[in-house]
Parts: sequence; C-alpha cells; structure tokens
Amino acid sequence: MKKFLITILFIFTQASFAFIEIDSEAPNFELTDTYGNKVSLESFKGKKVVLEWTNHGCPFVAKHYKTKNMQSTQELAKSEDVVWLSIISSAPGTQGYVTKEEANTLTTTREASPTHVLLDPTGKAGILYNAKTTPHMYVINEEGLLKYQGAIDDAGGRGFMFKDLLEANNYVKIAIKELNQGKKISNPVTKPYGCSVKYAG
Amino acid sequence: MCASLISAGAFPTSIVNASDSRIEMLTESNSMNPGDELLVGFKFTLNPGWHTYWENPGDAGEGASINWNLPKDVNASKILWPGPERIPVDPLMTFGYEDEVVLLTKIYTSETTTIPVTLNAQVSWYTCKEICIPQEAEVSIPIKLGNKTSSASKGLLDQTLKQIPVQFNGTYRVQKLDDSYVFQGEFENVDQYDSMYFFPKDYGLTNYTEKQFYEINKDSFSLQIKASEIEIENKSFEGVVAASKNEEITFIEIDYPLATKDTSQEFNILTLIVFAFLGGLILNVMPCVFPILSIKILRFVEQSRDSTYKTLQQGLLFSLGVIISFLTIAALLIALKSGGESIGWGYQLQSPVVVSLLFYLFVVLGFIFMSNIVLGSSLARLSSISLNKSDSLESFLTGVLAVIVASPCTAPFMGSAIGFALLQPSFYSILIFLGLGVGFSLPYLILSAKPSLLSFLPKPGQWMETFKQFMAFPMWASALWLLWVLSNQVNNQEVIQVLLGALLITTGLWLIEKNNSEKDWVRWLMRLPFLLLFIFSLWLIPTSYSDLDEPKQSQLAYTPQLLEDLREENSLVFLNFTADWCITCKVNEAVALKTSKVTKLLADKDITYIEADWTRKDPIISSALEQYGRTGLPLYLLFPSKGDPLILPEILTEDILLTYLTEVQ
Repeated sequence: MKKFLITILFIFTQASFAFIEIDSEAPNFELTDTYGNKVSLESFKGKKVVLEWTNHGCPFVAKHYKTKNMQSTQELAKSEDVVWLSIISSAPGTQGYVTKEEANTLTTTREASPTHVLLDPTGKAGILYNAKTTPHMYVINEEGLLKYQGAIDDAGGRGFMFKDLLEANNYVKIAIKELNQGKKISNPVTKPYGCSVKYAG
Repeated sequence: MCASLISAGAFPTSIVNASDSRIEMLTESNSMNPGDELLVGFKFTLNPGWHTYWENPGDAGEGASINWNLPKDVNASKILWPGPERIPVDPLMTFGYEDEVVLLTKIYTSETTTIPVTLNAQVSWYTCKEICIPQEAEVSIPIKLGNKTSSASKGLLDQTLKQIPVQFNGTYRVQKLDDSYVFQGEFENVDQYDSMYFFPKDYGLTNYTEKQFYEINKDSFSLQIKASEIEIENKSFEGVVAASKNEEITFIEIDYPLATKDTSQEFNILTLIVFAFLGGLILNVMPCVFPILSIKILRFVEQSRDSTYKTLQQGLLFSLGVIISFLTIAALLIALKSGGESIGWGYQLQSPVVVSLLFYLFVVLGFIFMSNIVLGSSLARLSSISLNKSDSLESFLTGVLAVIVASPCTAPFMGSAIGFALLQPSFYSILIFLGLGVGFSLPYLILSAKPSLLSFLPKPGQWMETFKQFMAFPMWASALWLLWVLSNQVNNQEVIQVLLGALLITTGLWLIEKNNSEKDWVRWLMRLPFLLLFIFSLWLIPTSYSDLDEPKQSQLAYTPQLLEDLREENSLVFLNFTADWCITCKVNEAVALKTSKVTKLLADKDITYIEADWTRKDPIISSALEQYGRTGLPLYLLFPSKGDPLILPEILTEDILLTYLTEVQ
C-alpha cells in the first residue's frame, strides 16, 4: 500500500518536473498569447503541434532567426497545417522577457510565422516540459503524443557560431516529414543546445 | 608576457579584449626548431562573476572552439581541457570555468617545417553570467627559429597541464544498478580523497543536477551517480572525475564500455496480440484462477437447464467483466507509467490491503459454499431487483474477480510480454491487454453458446451441493496462499489481526445464516452485528508494510558461535559483511556474489555462506570487523578448512570470486 500511495503521490507532486517520455501524452498547459487570448495545447488535438522555447536575446536563437533557419522551419510547419507555438519562459527582468507588443514587433520584424507566441513568465510550461535551452523544440502528433524533443538541428556543439545552419540536418523538419509519412522518428530525442531558459530564480 | 606582443594594428595580436572577457595566446617558448613540439595556451580572463564552458557545457551553453590557420607541416592537437567546475544556473546545471581558464593545445612540427612561423587561430567562445555573449577573436603569435627557451608563460602553462585529466592509475569499473551508475575503483592512497564528482563527456548519460554519493572504503571507493532522465544509448561511460583532497583537485579520465542494450527484441504487434490471446487461454488453468472459475462452471451447469439464450447472456456478461477489468488495469498501468513510475505486473498483490481483502473474500466464499447461504438470491431480495438482473451483475463481477485473482499468475509467463506491451504506445498496450482478456474469457463464451458441450457433466442433483461444498477447500487453499503472501509484507501481529478479522466476518455470516425469522425487521436487525463485525475486520487490515520479524533471506546470519562451530568441523566458510546502505556491497552482491555460477560453486564445494548484516550497527559484528582490522564495509572472508582466512578484494567480480572459491581448500 505504501508503494502504491507513493506512486500516487509521485504522480501528483512530481509529474510537473518529470521528463516526458517519447510516445507518452504531452501534458496540457494554458498560456496567454500576445493578443491576450487564452491558448491551451488541448485545443489543438487533431493537429500536429511544434513547441519552440525561445528568447530573442539569446545568441543561439538570434543566429537561427538571422539565418532564417527558424522561419523556414515555421513555414514548412505552416504549409503542412502544423500548429507552431513559440513559448517565452523568461522571467520578468531577465533576458528574453518581452511585453505582448514587443513580442509582436519581433514576430513582424523577423518575418516569423508562428501560430501563436505564448508568454510563460512564471515558467510553469517550461518546467512542465523540462525545457532547458533556447531553442528547445518539441513535436506533438495529432493524438497529443510527444514524438520529438531536443535541438532544432545538429549544428549544436562547439563552433556553432561558425556553422552554416542551412547545411545542418533540421530535426524538426525531419520529424514533421516522418510523421506525415507515418514513419518512425529516426532521432526522437536529441541534445538541446543553446542558452539556458531564464527561469525565475 | 608582453615580449610576444606584436604592435597593434591591422595584424592580429596575441591579446584581444572582448566585452567582459579577454583572450590571450601563450606559448611555452618563443622559439623552436623544426621537429619540435610546442605547448600553446589560450588564456581567457573573465570579469568577476562571468564564466565560460567546458567541453560538455551541461544543460546550456557551449564550449570554446579554435579554428587554426596553420602553414603546411604544422599541426595542432585537439584542445586539452582542464577539469571543469560545476556552475549551477537554477534549475539547470552547467559545467565550465569561472574567472579564468587556460585551454591548451600542442603544436607539432616536422623536420621540413619552415620556421619562423606564425601561429594563427580564430577562437569563438561564450562569456556568460545570467546571459551569454558570443565572442570571436583572431589571435596569433610569431615563433622564431632557435632552441626552445622557457617564456614568461611557461610556468602558467605547466601549472595548467596539471589540471588536464590524467589516466586512471588503478582499476575501476562502472555498473548500472536501477537508475544509477556506480563507479568503483581501487588505487593507492584512495582514502585521502574526501570527495569525488563525475562530469560526463556526453549528453544523456548521467543526471547533472542530482547529488552524487561518494563512499570510501579501505582501498577502494564507490561513487553513485543518478542516470540521466533522458537516456540516449551511450556506448561507454566517459567523462572526468574530480577527486579532491584538502582543496586540491585531481582530474581523472574515465572511459568504461557499457553493455549495449539488446535491440533484437523487436516484436511484431500482431504476434504479440496472438501471444497475449494464447496467454489468456492458458490463464484459465492456472491455480490462482481455477477456484473462481469453478463457481462459473457450476453456474453454467445450473443454467444449462434453463434457456440457452440466458446462458449465452451470462457468458457474454462474464466476458465483458473480464475484458473491462483487463482494460481498466491497462489504463491504470498506462497512467502510472506516464507518471514516470516503473511498475510491474502483479503489483496489486504488493499491497497488504488488497491481499487482506482478497483473503477475506476467499474465506467468505469458502464459508458460503459450505453453508446454505444463497448469495445471489439474498442479494436480489435485498435490492428487490429481479433475479435475472442480479444474475447478470454476478456474472459480470465474477469476470472482474477472475481477472484480479489471475493477475499474479500472469507474472511468470506473461511478465516480459506485458513489460514490453507497456513500453509500446498506449494504443498497442491496450490491444495487447484486450488480447489477454479475449483469450481468457473465450472458453466460457464457447461453453455458454454451446452448453451441450457440458453434457459430459452429470445431470444436476444432490452431487452439485456436494461439489459446491467441496469447492470451499480450493477457496480456503487460495486464502492460505494469500496469507502467506501477506506474511511476507507485514509482521506476525498484523497477520493475526487479519485472521481475527476473518473469524469475525465468518461469525457474522453464521449469524445471518441462523437467522430464519419471517419478519423483515428482525432479519435486518440481525444483519447489524454482521455489519459491525465486518467494519471492524476492515479496520484491522494493515495499511502499510511493516518490519518483518525475521529477515527474509534464508541465509545463515553471523554469530561468533556459528563461525566457531563451523571452524571446528573444518568446514569451508564464506563470510560476507554487508549492509543495506553500503553501495559497494550491493554492487558486489549483484555482479558477483549472487550470480548463479557463484551460488552453484558454493554449493558444489560445500562452502557455508554466512552473512553478517551491519545495516543496524550491531556491536557483535563491529567487534568481528575490528578483529580483522576493519571499521567499515565491505569485508569478505574466505575460511579454508584449516588456518587463517583469506581476505578478498573489496571490489569483487565474478571471475575473481570464482578463482578464490575454486582454489580454497
């Protein structure tokens, strides 16, 4: 009984910090987007969803936007009817924290095309997904199961700043393609790389 | 230091100032001859509070990279990284260097290299505090022709060399136990190191934030490191161990091959469902289920007299009960699994509450079979629903009960398949459990559809009453088995409590049976004591594991007397000093002591195995340890038939142990 109770307790207390296994259900969250709308992951059941943890001040993120690598990934997602949620988990006062207006300006000036940009200043969604870096990417299928998590591509590692991102293997694009073809994801978990997510203390 | 500095201008220099950090290229000598090797350093000076990263940056960031621009016949080694330190960025962990670091590289030349030569490199790195700033600089240094002479930087470079991880001077091994890696090693003067920390070279091996547990023994140590939450298959346990003694840190390189997972177990989902179905069929003849199902057969015999339609309906409801229960269990397991818990099949019998309740149930069923109580009809009278409906409910519940009782029996032959099923996407798991349920209920469905198959059974009559009474015995046998399970979970007193509970319930049932009053209110009143007794017996159920009165293992426990007696008989004795909290002991037991080869050899050579369990500090065991000059664990003693015992190494492998055991006379 003790073991069982511990199990139950574990589910209720620890689930929020646990690593989400591939093929398990992607936990739901509800956040406010940059237009003040409440957006929940659940509402996208039936569509594939990409989660992108971002922080415009992070040099890793900056390079992905400057080289249009992130935008081209978003465009591919859009053309395949995949929902794209950019999530900002920077706490107020830390790098990457933006107001709704600033976030919208960033989207326009960078010619980005996310479905929603979601504000997560308390970091609850970030902690829920164990998001560690910006960028940190997740791909969820139509049934709401997590299919991919990790880096956006294989350009991570030392010397990233010297690398040509257009030559890298884009894991998110590959995952979307493989899901469309009903194939198994070839690399379902990769090492995320980038700046640390700027969670509140 | 400034001797190597070229005047500023369009040419790259050896020093570049960047925001919040500065890079300086250093060489051990400003001159060299063709064929010489030259040690070069890149010194990063960071503003206070800023850091840069190690080869594996941890959760975020990136280590520096150096792109050399060297003439022909000049080659550079990879970066030699000094051992890192932990830099926590809550809730994450990074590995790097604060304030200052020198990254080393060796430059190789050949006899044909033209010197003077300019060493030029493009360096990129991150300077981080709360935020990260990417930096880039081009640095270069001219090298003259001539014998190597120590430059002003040589001292710093040599000092840095000492922080470069060295080979492990001794033996070590890495074992995975549950969700941790245990790194163990032996080398001289190991006991002077008061702490150790392992920095993994790659992602997906060990957990960065969890505390690592260091345990020191006489000439060996154990370091327990939580495995990474995300496990990427790593071929080896590679990284750097920081071993510190009085502030001074030695970095040691570790690279230990790990057993690769067997990937050949790729089952086809259809094959699995077929196996699950067959497994379900076989379950019917397993001892756990048999008694329950015999009730069902009795019912069939009774019902086969009635309409075939009704029999089929009962069969369907029973199957429904079975299948719904299997699916419920599947859903529960999936829910628990997604909660991150690793769970096994048959786990419901790990709970004393469930075991106690099942025990009551079997005792009661046995009693009912023996007595004249008719469960179905009295239920029907109670709730004044039609007999038909209560039969339906009963069929359904029998199905549910059958599944619950069957679950422990599935473990031996279905365990691995179910384990695999749980690793599959939830949808497949459900299909597999569905297969089990259909297989399990199929025989009854067939019997209920074609009751003529039952014709080999004699016509209903007095024998049925006799048979019913007889069935009480398998019920009580099952109760006995459950009691045995319970006795492994709770102590004697609590087992007696549960037995008392059973006594109270049966007394209550007897009262009901003896109460033949015609008046409804009297019958109701007489049920009251039963209800009270029943509630009281529920209250008696133990809710958690308790300390067992005796150790579970049947192993011989150490006493000085026992050892002395065995020695007098000239027996061979293996004495294991162990404790639950001793990591080294647990690893040794897992990899060497408790393996089948060792157990067999112990039996073959008639070596008596004794355990001295020091989990609770026992003065008798402490003094025995003292006799052999020990104050800690582990200690393994092998007593030959005559003479002094052999003291075995602290870190055992199966081979070492087998050699010792084979040779002892």
